[in-house]
Amino acid sequence: MKKRPPRSPRPRRRTAPRARPAPAPAARQDALLRLSTEIASAENERDVCRAVVAGLFDKALGYDFVAVLLVDQASGERVLVASEGWKDAPADLRIRPGQGLSERPLLDGRLHYAPRVTRETRYLPTRNEGSEVDVPILANRELVGVLVVESNRADAFEPDDLQILAAAAHQAGIAIGRVRLLGALHVRASEQQALIDTMSDLSRQLELSKLLQAVLERAVGLLGVSHGELAIYQPDSRDLEIVASHNVGRRDTTGTRMKLGEGAMGHVARAREPVLIPDYRQWPGRSAQYAAVEFHAVMAAPLLMGDHLVGAMAFMDRDPRRQFGLEDLRLLNLFAPQAAVAIENARLYTAAQHQTRYFQELVENNPVAIVTLDQQHNVVSCNPAFEALYGYTQSEVLGRNLDDLITTPETRRQAVAYTEQALNQRPVKVISQRRRKDGTFVDVEVLGVPVVVGGKRVGLMALYHDITALLAARREAEEASQAKSRFLASVSHELRTPLNAIIGYSELLQEEVEELGVGQLTGDLGRVKAAGQLLLALINDILDLSKIEAGKMEVHLETFEVRDVLDAVTATVQPLLEKNANRLVVEGAAGCGAMRADRTKLTQMLLNLLSNASKFTKAGTIALKVTRAEEPDETWVTFAVSDTGIGMTEEQIGRLFQAFSQADTSIAGKYGGTGLGLAITKRFTELMGGEVRVESRPGVGSTFSVKLPAGTRDAVTRSG
Amino acid sequence: MPRILLVEDNEMNRDMLSRRLVRKGFEVDMAFDGKAGVDKARGGAYDLILMDMSLPEIDGWEATRQLRAAPETKAVPIIALTAHAMAGDREKALAAGCNDYDTKPIELDRLLGKMAALLPASGA
Repeated sequence: MKKRPPRSPRPRRRTAPRARPAPAPAARQDALLRLSTEIASAENERDVCRAVVAGLFDKALGYDFVAVLLVDQASGERVLVASEGWKDAPADLRIRPGQGLSERPLLDGRLHYAPRVTRETRYLPTRNEGSEVDVPILANRELVGVLVVESNRADAFEPDDLQILAAAAHQAGIAIGRVRLLGALHVRASEQQALIDTMSDLSRQLELSKLLQAVLERAVGLLGVSHGELAIYQPDSRDLEIVASHNVGRRDTTGTRMKLGEGAMGHVARAREPVLIPDYRQWPGRSAQYAAVEFHAVMAAPLLMGDHLVGAMAFMDRDPRRQFGLEDLRLLNLFAPQAAVAIENARLYTAAQHQTRYFQELVENNPVAIVTLDQQHNVVSCNPAFEALYGYTQSEVLGRNLDDLITTPETRRQAVAYTEQALNQRPVKVISQRRRKDGTFVDVEVLGVPVVVGGKRVGLMALYHDITALLAARREAEEASQAKSRFLASVSHELRTPLNAIIGYSELLQEEVEELGVGQLTGDLGRVKAAGQLLLALINDILDLSKIEAGKMEVHLETFEVRDVLDAVTATVQPLLEKNANRLVVEGAAGCGAMRADRTKLTQMLLNLLSNASKFTKAGTIALKVTRAEEPDETWVTFAVSDTGIGMTEEQIGRLFQAFSQADTSIAGKYGGTGLGLAITKRFTELMGGEVRVESRPGVGSTFSVKLPAGTRDAVTRSG
Repeated sequence: MPRILLVEDNEMNRDMLSRRLVRKGFEVDMAFDGKAGVDKARGGAYDLILMDMSLPEIDGWEATRQLRAAPETKAVPIIALTAHAMAGDREKALAAGCNDYDTKPIELDRLLGKMAALLPASGA
């Protein structure tokens, strides 16, 4: 009120007041009826206001100025929408809150009558000496505007006038409410249409980059803003990458990355709910990457699919006065889930395409020949390695029966069986030979696996690995091994011939020197003979092992009484026992019966074990215990040799059965022996289908058990 | 006194074994290769032949086959002697017609046992 308000001013309205005759009741009635009809037929707010104003500015009513001011929701200002009686009224004249008489109905919702405007404190002095009525317009229970009616005379309005104006404002309010509702419905309908357009559009667009731009443009259009950005969440790096940008920044901002929590989009991505920022420049969460941005209001929202974060969007407007409100939020809430689904679909599609290409590359660049077949054994695809291996091009094999192409008459039946087997979901792995296009053969390892998609068998995949080089290497290794065995056999033969002479001549000499009476030489001759015999034993052991390793050791089965072997062995080992003052106890010899085995090898093994036991025991007891056990599948005879000797640690036992390995390397020097005895015993036992066990404690003694199948069960069955 | 033919190409083995057999009371004749062994056996009426298997000219197996084919030697016991202890040697020797088999180095007691089993009862 300190300043002159730019309200519906009278000063310039007219120079000569118009005389107001007393209106005839019938004429007033007509005027009101016309007014009602005009208002009812109006289709928008402005037309309603014009109809009200035009109807009341009737000669019959005699008012000098009629106007409708509507409230602008955003600013609270009253805007002049329609007026009569002011020829040069400016379009969209605005009156700010706190100014003018016409604000009063908006403050209390009541009709205000000023019989003499010059007396009103809110009225700014003008040349107008007249009276004024301000009537609130109520639409859908909301104060939306004011009907202003003036007369150039003071005290010009009768109670009758006030009734008419209240009725007119009432009708105007109803009409405005009606068109606003219609308008809102219309707006909502077009929003929904836009969303539907978006959805169908988006579901068609599976190329991710194009889809993202389309989503952003759509959202920018829907919200009616000038700028927008869209970022998608990268789970690997746990950050957001801007993938579509509409007018933001001086340069394209796509590719910019933001951590969760950084900037508006980072904030909503972490908070998982939208944010309205009145002034980004003052916002504490702003990103340094957007330091130069001049935008004021920003709205951002996450793109979520359920709990799954897909990305985020942000919107701004070049108009600094544009603020975002609940209505914008509502729109964005409708739009964002659809966008999230579309983006995720496109991402999955892109990932699936990538995956497909990935597997295609794997097959294409694979050095192994790969071919896929349908259920009729016809070729569906093959890779370059297949073409290289067999000499066929893909076009030569497509649709043809694979087994017709690459099998030989010898391998065909088998190959067809393999193909059937792999189709029946049992993988095949075999080594075989296949034929190339030029008729030559190639050794291959074949791997056939069924191809099952979604639980349904669709064909098979066969892989061919060229093993020509491998087979050649194996042949070479086998030849080398055989050469080694031949060498060992021939060396041991060559060694045994002179040994034969050494041992024979020393025996001969022993006899002769005794006859000649030079008995003092027999001791030395005995030592020559003993050394020769040890050397012979070593050579025999080496020969045995080399035969075992060459697979040439044969087992000669014969049926014999176990007791006979025990007798022979105990007699042979007697001199060894005496040497270390050991006592031998044989248990179980009476009831051990017969067995069918290699008698020579059993004898050799028992001699090995007994001489070992005696070697490592001094003045002790050595026990040879024989037990016979009936088990469901087989009868077993176990020979256990125990001593009370030096024993062994776990670690020594571990090395025991390796060739040339005694439990301790110093042992050979102290106790003698070739170190091959136990290795041979173990291999002999295995050859005969049995097993060797060792139990030992250092300082207490050791027990070696050889468990062999008695091999008599068939004979018993037959004889019974 | 049983007459033994020892067919052996190795000079030391031949000398050593023949001397030990002589000491045990045998009459020992010797041949140095397979061919000479066969000739000597057919002309000699031996009680037993000790046949080394790896011999020059013709080997012990072939010599044994020829002796078995000749009417005058087909019944003479033959013991194969070989340093080969490879699998199958024993079967191979028996298949060629040997009556027994022994591996070198010779354990004299063992060989004497085998010879005694094939010779006519001593003292007869």
